[in-house]
Amino acid sequence: MAAGGGTAGHLLRVWLSAGILGRWAPWATRCPGAGRALSGFSARCVGQVRAPVGAPLWKPRLPGANLPGGGISSVLSSVTSLLPSILQQPARTVTYYSIRKGKRKTVKAVIKRFLRLHNGLWVRRKAGYKKKLWKKSAAQRKRLRELVLCNRTQCKLLDKMTTSFWKRRNWYVDDPYQKYHDRTNLRF
Amino acid sequence: MACAGMGQSARCKLKRTFNMEGFGQTEVSGLKAGYYTEEYWVTFTTGTNPSAPALLSSSFCNSVLHAADVSGNGGNKALELLRSLPRVSLGNLRPSPGSKKRERRRGRGRHGGRKCGRGHKGERQRGTRPRLGFEGGQTPFYLAIPKYGFNDGHSCRRQYQPLSLQRLQYLIDLGRVDPTQPIDLTQLTNARGVTVQPLKRDYGVQLVEEGADIFSAKVNIEVQRASELAIAAIEKNGGVVTTSFYDPRSLEILCKPVVFFLRGQPIPKRMLPPEDLVRYYTDARNRGYLADPSKVAEARLELARKYGYVLPDITKDELFKMLSARKDPRQIFFGLAPGWIVNMADKKVLKPTDEKLLKYYSS
Repeated sequence: MAAGGGTAGHLLRVWLSAGILGRWAPWATRCPGAGRALSGFSARCVGQVRAPVGAPLWKPRLPGANLPGGGISSVLSSVTSLLPSILQQPARTVTYYSIRKGKRKTVKAVIKRFLRLHNGLWVRRKAGYKKKLWKKSAAQRKRLRELVLCNRTQCKLLDKMTTSFWKRRNWYVDDPYQKYHDRTNLRF
Repeated sequence: MACAGMGQSARCKLKRTFNMEGFGQTEVSGLKAGYYTEEYWVTFTTGTNPSAPALLSSSFCNSVLHAADVSGNGGNKALELLRSLPRVSLGNLRPSPGSKKRERRRGRGRHGGRKCGRGHKGERQRGTRPRLGFEGGQTPFYLAIPKYGFNDGHSCRRQYQPLSLQRLQYLIDLGRVDPTQPIDLTQLTNARGVTVQPLKRDYGVQLVEEGADIFSAKVNIEVQRASELAIAAIEKNGGVVTTSFYDPRSLEILCKPVVFFLRGQPIPKRMLPPEDLVRYYTDARNRGYLADPSKVAEARLELARKYGYVLPDITKDELFKMLSARKDPRQIFFGLAPGWIVNMADKKVLKPTDEKLLKYYSS
């Protein structure tokens, strides 16, 4: 029990210094695992220390340290930082009027996936162009590698999701898409 | 719209509807019996208000119509008549036809009312439509497409506003840009030939070949980038091209010098180009400002040979001194050194005298 307690205590100190329970970090120094990534290490630590993560009653007791008044909430908040992906869901809405400036905001997902040419067309990659290529024929792989334009409704949607900054004319140096910003011989 | 006050001038539209039946004056022609509505612009340039506020009567319509009929005469008669016109007030004014359209209020009557343009039932009428791009739970189009770095580092990419030789020729022909002085980005901006936005990652101006065959002006021009054919076209006409680098702060100062001078700060040193641009600006083929002058002369000959024109000798030119005027790599303006403060109010230039400052600004 003492040995188990000792190892638990050591791991606990390691866990503390990793920064989860920041307020107890000064008491847990000289730890080899201090610089490691939080989530993986802490998950392992939690398993080994066998501390019930969701239980609010468990509080670390260190010799000579007072129990802080907000012990329960701090544990919960520290627990939530273990699982950031579940609690920080991406916001996919278009903000029409921002809180601070009252301006429209772009949807960043669009900027990361598409390119707007100045003539109004949007360029994109084909979906699946780097997935499971072993089962695709050479012709299919070539088709997927090509850059493709979006249709009219898609272009309109993407224009609505972006602000006018992304519609300005850019004169980059050595832009591979420079000649596509203008249409030629378009009759309608 | 307020009437003219003392010593001011204003234009307003006067409307008058008056009965012509009692009208007996014969001066005005083209009158018809019945009601006559006249509306036209009246310009008040007088210093005094009309002394006698006349009623909407025969004298008024007479004067007004006479003012309308009078053409030429220096407008004196019109001014005299306007003095006798009544005061412009809210009761005399009307907006010009077609400027104000009737507002269509929803929920009031046959055309704006009933369903009020919302459609029939459903999310459209009830206003519970989902967000833009939502496709009922199916992975939306704009998320199904894989990410690709089209716009990666877009805010670090340098941009150069194009200046075609055709535009340059146009500006010189119209006299907006003076070819007898060295042409700088400041001259081009003052002439409104180009608009450079340093805040949008613009690093200056690039020369473009459009109009190379019609270009015929001898200029000493300094740009930030230039294509080979543009350089050839300028040198063929006996001009000089230089490409130089301006860091964003210097570029902002260069484009808007007066605004900078009003700040009261000393002119900063122009920074040297970053690593990836040093090669460009030390190359004689690009006429870089850091290149060796002898190599630049060689490159001029080479270009003349390549494009098949005779390179005119600028040393024998009368404007040789102007054509060979170049800026120091740390200088932003011609004739002003870094460290100087330009006082616009007192029309003075202040130069530093402290040793440390002089050492810093001359390094």
